[in-house]
This record gives sequence, structure tokens and C-alpha cells, in this order.
Amino acid sequence: MTIMDRVRNTTVGRSIFRSPDRATDRDRAAGHWSNFFLHIYPVKMRRAEIGFRYSWYLGAISTVLFGSLVASGIYLMFFYVPSPASAYTNIQTIQTEVAFGQYIRNVHRWSAHLMVLAVAAHMARVFYRGAYKKPKEFNWVIGVVLLVLTLLLSFTGYLLPWDQLAFWAVTVGTEMAAYVPLLGETIREVLLGGDTVGSATLLRFYVLHVAVLPVAVVLTLSIHLWRWRKDAMLDTPREEPE
Amino acid sequence: MSDLPTPGHTDGTSTPLPNPLSAKPTVIEGRRVLGIVPGKPAAGESKDHAEQDAVMVWPHLLVRHAVVAVATLLVVLIISLAFDAPLREIANPTNTPNPEKAPWYFAALQELLAHFHPLVAGVLVPGAILIGLAALPYIDRSDFIKPKHRKVAVNTFTTFLVIWIVLTLVGFAFRGPNWGWVWPWVEWHGEL
Repeated sequence: MTIMDRVRNTTVGRSIFRSPDRATDRDRAAGHWSNFFLHIYPVKMRRAEIGFRYSWYLGAISTVLFGSLVASGIYLMFFYVPSPASAYTNIQTIQTEVAFGQYIRNVHRWSAHLMVLAVAAHMARVFYRGAYKKPKEFNWVIGVVLLVLTLLLSFTGYLLPWDQLAFWAVTVGTEMAAYVPLLGETIREVLLGGDTVGSATLLRFYVLHVAVLPVAVVLTLSIHLWRWRKDAMLDTPREEPE
Repeated sequence: MSDLPTPGHTDGTSTPLPNPLSAKPTVIEGRRVLGIVPGKPAAGESKDHAEQDAVMVWPHLLVRHAVVAVATLLVVLIISLAFDAPLREIANPTNTPNPEKAPWYFAALQELLAHFHPLVAGVLVPGAILIGLAALPYIDRSDFIKPKHRKVAVNTFTTFLVIWIVLTLVGFAFRGPNWGWVWPWVEWHGEL
């Protein structure tokens, strides 16, 4: 009996873990269901679907990168004020004075680019695997929503350093929105909070970047994973006539 | 033909051997064994694991995900130690850089903008792509999984994917001042 098994079998351990035995698959399944962190996973999956060849683990990689972005992003928020007067100098301070500031900013920047790549690659892998087929059609649609949210998160974050790169990339990007028939100018003005990229734009992009879009991703990702778990052992088309 | 002795059968001449199937019930620790029946193991005779067998996620998938998470974070760590995030001079609304570049994931759209009317490149194409992607599982309704059995879907998707990657590369690395063609190894204008 390992130390962990002894801990699980104490009065306190039983109150935390609820199902202390791990001898049989049934015990493990019970432990799985009574654990908040494990309950986002299915209890069982097909052997073919847990290997590298099936998914290339691109969904897991995307989720890990999102976690890395949340952690590094929270750290950066302590040192950043979204105003044209302070944003740029805040970034300089982060890079030169804040402990691990340059490194954490690098992590945030590169994780963001990698996440866009990982999410796009995840979509392509799911396509070639035919994993969007019945009964998972709607989860594919939720995945498309997550792709759009990922691009919006990356794009809103792009403005925050308030350097030439940020300012003109967002100017170019929001000019495209103006070409939407009828509503184009309105959409652009709502996004920018004015005619051009300015202090209102910076505040809006900041609020979208640190509050609205992350919450939207967490919610949508929860639904995505919940459906993935529910569908894990459902019958899917896999054998086909020759 | 079973080579097991017939239960309970005696012809009166031979001495009956101890017969497992006709043996009297044996009491073992308060349980009674009613009989032993010849048959196959519940998991089947093959020792090969079938691809469609269900396996426990804990630990089989969790240990893989743990390795993937550590590997991903290691890659991020190495890239972040090796390369600093870019920071240009402070934003200046009166000084437009040339070229003016969108983030790389919009480079394909920006490249399209150079060739088509903005309504087409900026609205219709991205709109059609998103609607087409969302509608894909409702268009391709066949039960086929393997790419060779759903050639139309695979060829269409691959064509768009290749076009998109090429446009992204062109917009990202092969465009310079006034959106003119440059060779990235001669002058570099890509921005991350």
C-alpha cells in the first residue's frame, strides 16, 4: 500500500476523495467521477483514440498554451495600464525592471502565436481524421467558434504594447471591418470608439482582451470538452465498405 | 467431440475417475463452487489489443497528456529564452510605416485585399470561409472516415488549405514597401 493509498483511506482522505480504493477499474472510475479535475475527461476511451497518431494531441496542446497565456497574462496585468500615456512605457518597464518581466512577456507573445497555429492545426487534423462526423457535428461548429475567439484574442492583444507595429496592424485590421455592407462604418466605430485608433480603442481592446474574450473562451471550451467527454464512447462510423 | 468424461456416467465395470464436473460442491471460505465450465476467457482468445477496445483514461490518456503538457511548456520556455518579443518605437499616428502589415494570421486576407475589391477580400471571402467551415459536417454526411472514401471533401479542404498557407506566406514574408514583391532572404519585412 502506498503512502497515497494510506492518506486516501484516513477519515479526512475519505471525505476528500470519497472513493479511496483504486484496485479495480470500477474503483478508478468511481474516483474519476468524484474528482473535479478528472471529471472533464471521459472514464474510458477507445485505444485507437488515445495515441499520438490519432490526434497529434493538438487539442491538448492548444489548451496547455491557453493556460500558459492566462498565467503569463495575469502577471503582465499587474504592471500595465491601458492608456496611450502609459502603455508603451509600462512595456519598457516590464522588459527592464520587473522581475522576469521580459521572459514572461516573451512567454505570452510566443504562446499566443503558437496557440493560433495549434488551434488551426487541430482543426485540420480533426478534418482529415473525419472526427467531425456524426455524432460530433455540433462540436466541430463549437470548434470553429473557438478558432474565431482565438484570433480575436490574439488580435486584441496585438494593440496593447502601443508601438508602431501594434498601432498600424490594428489600423489595417479594423479598416477591413469598414467594408461590411451597411453596418461597416458602425462596426468600425464601435470597435475603435472613434474615427481612428486612440485611447478609447486601447481601453476597449484591453477589456475585450483580459475580460470578455477569456471568459468567452473558458465557457466555449467547457462546452467543447463536455461534449467531447460525452461523445467519447458513442458509436461513430468507423468501419466502411470496400 | 469432448474428451471430458461424461458427468455421472458409470458402466459398472471401470472404476470412475475423479470427475471435476461431477465433483461434489466444495466449500471454500464460506463460498460454494457450483461447477467449472469449459469456455473462452472473457477478454477473448487473442492477446492483441483491439484498436476499438475501451481503455481507462486514468492512467493511459492522462500520462500522455502530462508528457504533452511538459513538452509544450518546454518548447515555449526555450523559444522565450532564445527570442525576445518585438517592441518597435512608440505608436505615432502621423508616421505610417511602409509596408503596413496586419498580424501574420491575417496576412492572407491582406494579400487578397491587394488583388480584389475590399468587399470581396475583406468581407465575402472570410465570411464564406467561416460559414463553409461551420457547415462542413452538415454537408459531408457520409459515414466514410478514411480520406480515400471522401475525396470531394478532402480535395476541397486541401485546396483551400494550401491556397491559404501560400497567401499567408506571401503576405507575411514576400511583401515589402507599397506591397511590392520582395525576396525574404534579400530584405525581411515579416513581423511577429
